[in-house]
Amino acid sequence: MKKIFFTLLAAALCMPMMAVGLRQKKADKDTNEFRYEIECAGNAIQGTYLVKVWSYSKKAAIAENQCRKNAVHGVIFKGYGGGQGCVSQRPLANNPGAEAQNQEYFKSFFANGGEFQKYASIMEGTTETVKVGKEYKIGVVVSVRKDDLRKALEAAGIIRGLSSGF
Amino acid sequence: MKRYFFTLALALVALVASAQIKKPALMVIPSDVWCISNGYYTEIDNMGTTMKVPNYKQALQENMGLKLAIAKLNDLMAERQFPLQSLEQTIKNLEQQRMEDNLTMSKAGNELAESPLDEVARVAKCDIILELSWELKDFGPKHSLSYVLEGRDAYTSKTIGAASGTGAPSFTADVDVLLEEAIVANMDNFNNRLLDHFTEMQTIGREVSLDIKVFANNAAGVDLETEFGDDELIDIINDWLQKNTVQGRFTMPYASENVANFTQVRIPVYDERGRAIDANGFAKGLAKMLKKEPYNIPSKVLVKGLGRAVIILGEK
Repeated sequence: MKKIFFTLLAAALCMPMMAVGLRQKKADKDTNEFRYEIECAGNAIQGTYLVKVWSYSKKAAIAENQCRKNAVHGVIFKGYGGGQGCVSQRPLANNPGAEAQNQEYFKSFFANGGEFQKYASIMEGTTETVKVGKEYKIGVVVSVRKDDLRKALEAAGIIRGLSSGF
Repeated sequence: MKRYFFTLALALVALVASAQIKKPALMVIPSDVWCISNGYYTEIDNMGTTMKVPNYKQALQENMGLKLAIAKLNDLMAERQFPLQSLEQTIKNLEQQRMEDNLTMSKAGNELAESPLDEVARVAKCDIILELSWELKDFGPKHSLSYVLEGRDAYTSKTIGAASGTGAPSFTADVDVLLEEAIVANMDNFNNRLLDHFTEMQTIGREVSLDIKVFANNAAGVDLETEFGDDELIDIINDWLQKNTVQGRFTMPYASENVANFTQVRIPVYDERGRAIDANGFAKGLAKMLKKEPYNIPSKVLVKGLGRAVIILGEK
């Protein structure tokens, strides 16, 4: 009887953790499938891009956390449009197959607590939350250190540097 | 064994080094439009027509914004391992060379047909010219800066890429602040175009054009239809170009007895000794071949900037 009680208790305690894990997995899947929006958030200081990223999740906290990952992902693979004084930017990876060709590298790069964190910081007080159906759409302004990010990708051989071949 | 290993290692290092080519040289200059609209020009009389020619020296001496823009662009390009060549230093070298050229010209009795831009490019030996212009526009109390940075291949004058745009209207009237903002915001897009151009150049060589003409009633008694064995002279020139261009790439849009024009001629970026080749150097290679047996044709090679050369056959 005791055994069954403890098993049920452990399961009940684990359930929320598993749910968070599943939601995180879903958020990562959304990132890989480009299910986020990225737009210019203004002119940034030299060496950085200032972008606004909209991410989706049933849990507001997860969506907010995912915004940093999505901002770096967007700068590398998606680029963003301009307008209203903003200049549109092409993705750092010119080759459309770069992500698939370097799967292992990007798996660890975008893992939770991975290297991507070094290149993005959330601008405090910029979070916007919109409830869309059953999930949240969270918009956050993120500053991406694109020069450092580009150098890291060049060093890893993912993208070509301007002076490569010379 | 050790000796073999080191010899092999050295050979490999040499092979890798020879496979690489030198970095193209870049230089920023203010565009003609900017120079003329800001009053930095000289009026010259060209066979009865008054022409406005940009005065780069005056612009550099009198416009602080230009110096700031060049310094900022240099900073951003140095960050990508592409420091720019100095326009100011080039102008000093140009003045020195003009004095020398004036002496040479009077002896030869010829004139160098080059624009100020061609002259700057030739003296700086730069491969790519970055033409910069900007203009401050007023929208009531706000100001906005329109900015254009255009990259041109100094050899062909073809546009490689451009970055342009108008910044968001701002209450700041400081042109320098708006200019710096515009440069920083547009530089990545410009560098992406530059990277595309470098990739193309590394693959299929540098593009130049070549004109071949014949001196009328020349002493050698040749024209482009003169036969050597079974081939006419134009066929011999075509064969030489086929062998010496990258992947045999060139087109001949026009050829007659006295004139042949070759365009989109893709020449190697550097010769076997690692020296940069321009249209003039490439044309001299052809002139040397024609001077030798069995052709014995003297010729004159004229400089027309980095990307265009004219060979006149029949006399020196």
